Amino acid sequence: MVLNYFKPALFFIPLAVLQLAVVPLISINNITPNLILVMLIFFTLMYGQIFGMINGFILGFILDLISGGLIGAFMLSFTITAFIAGYFYNENKLDINTASYFFVVILFICGTINSFLYSSISNSNADVGFFLLLIEDGILPGIYTALFGIPIIIFNPKKGIE
Amino acid sequence: MIKFITRFISQYKEYFLLVLLIIVSLSALSSNEKPQVKRIRTFALGSFALFSEAVNSLFSLFHAEPSIDELRRENADLMLEVNRLRNYKIENESLRSLLSFKDTASYPLIYADVVSKLVNKIQGNFIINRGNSNGLKVGMPVLNERGLIGIITETSDNFSVVKTLYNSNLNIAVTIQNIQVDGVLSWNGNELIIKNIPTTYNVRVGDAVVTSDFSSLFPPGIPVGTVSKRETISLGLLHSISITPYTDIYAVDNLFVLMLVTSKEINKLEMNLMK
Repeated sequence: MVLNYFKPALFFIPLAVLQLAVVPLISINNITPNLILVMLIFFTLMYGQIFGMINGFILGFILDLISGGLIGAFMLSFTITAFIAGYFYNENKLDINTASYFFVVILFICGTINSFLYSSISNSNADVGFFLLLIEDGILPGIYTALFGIPIIIFNPKKGIE
Repeated sequence: MIKFITRFISQYKEYFLLVLLIIVSLSALSSNEKPQVKRIRTFALGSFALFSEAVNSLFSLFHAEPSIDELRRENADLMLEVNRLRNYKIENESLRSLLSFKDTASYPLIYADVVSKLVNKIQGNFIINRGNSNGLKVGMPVLNERGLIGIITETSDNFSVVKTLYNSNLNIAVTIQNIQVDGVLSWNGNELIIKNIPTTYNVRVGDAVVTSDFSSLFPPGIPVGTVSKRETISLGLLHSISITPYTDIYAVDNLFVLMLVTSKEINKLEMNLMK
C-alpha cells in the first residue's frame, strides 16, 4: 500500500512538464485540460478517498510551487476534488469506475469542481462574475479535461462494462 | 472515553483529514509572501523550469533562428521608439518638461524565451528563462515587438515568473493616447477593461492605449492595445471600455524584459498592493 503512494509521484513529473510546456499549445480560448487531475482522479478511484486526498494535497503543493501560481490554490482544489472523487470509489467496481465511460463522467464532474475552486481561490478581482467562473472556468475546462480520460479507458487493459 | 474518541475519529477519519488538509492549504494561501515560502518556491521554480526548458526547446527546434531573434529585438526597440515619438507629438512642451523625470529615453532590453505557461481564465502566468543572473528584478516590464505583455513578479537565479495582462490580480494605470485620459486597466476573466471613464470624453473605437505617466510599475508610453468596445454604465454617466491587446499574449514564445525598475521604493509599495 505504501508503495502505491509513489506511483503518482512517478507520473507527476512528466505530466507536470506536459501540463506547463505543451498543454498551453492546445488551449482553446484560454481553456486547458488538467492532465495532473486526470491522474489524481484515476488513482483516487483505484485506491480510495484518503489516498486521493493526501496525493491531491502533495501534488497540488508541488504544482503550485512550479507553476508560479498562488501557493495553496492547487493544494486546496486538488484536496477537495479528490475528496469528492473518493465517493465514487468502490473496491468491487474498480473496472467500471476506471475502465468504462463512467470514468469520463467522474472526470467531468471533478474537473469542473476543481477548475471552479481553483479560479475562485486565485481570483481577487470583484469584476469577475460568478457565471464566468462557473461556466467558462468550471464546466468548459471540465469537459476538456474529461476528453483526456478517453485514452485511459481505451488503453486500459481492465476494460469493464461500457 | 478515549476508546469512544478513537472510534469516533476512525469512523470519520476522511472528514478529519479533509479539515486538516484544508486548514494547512488555507494557511499556505495566507503565507504566500513569507520569505521562507518564497525561498522554497524560488528553488522549486528554478529546478523544474530546467525540465520545461528542455521540452520547450524540442518544440522550438524548427523556428527562432538567431537572425529572427535579432530582428524581433530591433522591432521591439522601434516600437518603443515610435511610441515615444507619438507621445512627444501629443504632449505639449511644458508638460513634457514637468514630467521629464519619468521619461524613458533609453530602453535596455533583454531577450527571453517562455519556458512554461499557466493558462486559465483568471491567472495568466509565464515562466521565462532569464533570472537574477541576467540582471532581472521584480517589477520589470515584459513586452515584445507589438506591445506590453506583463510584469516580473518573482525571480530565481535563471528563471522568472511573469504575471501577464490576462491575470485578474494585475491592475495597470493606462492612458487613452488620443484624448489623454487616464484609467485603470484590469482583466475580468473575459476581456481587458478600463472602467469608469466619464462619457464626456470622446473615446473612439481604435484609439491607442498606452501605459500612463501615473504608473510607477511601468514606464510611460508602452503600447498596450486599442479600444475595441465602449459600453455606457451608471445611468449614462460612465463608460466601460474594452481593450484588445496588441500582443496575442498566449501565443507568445519569445519576449523582452525592459531592464528598468522606475522607482524601487514606489515599485515595492505598488507590488505589495498588487499582492
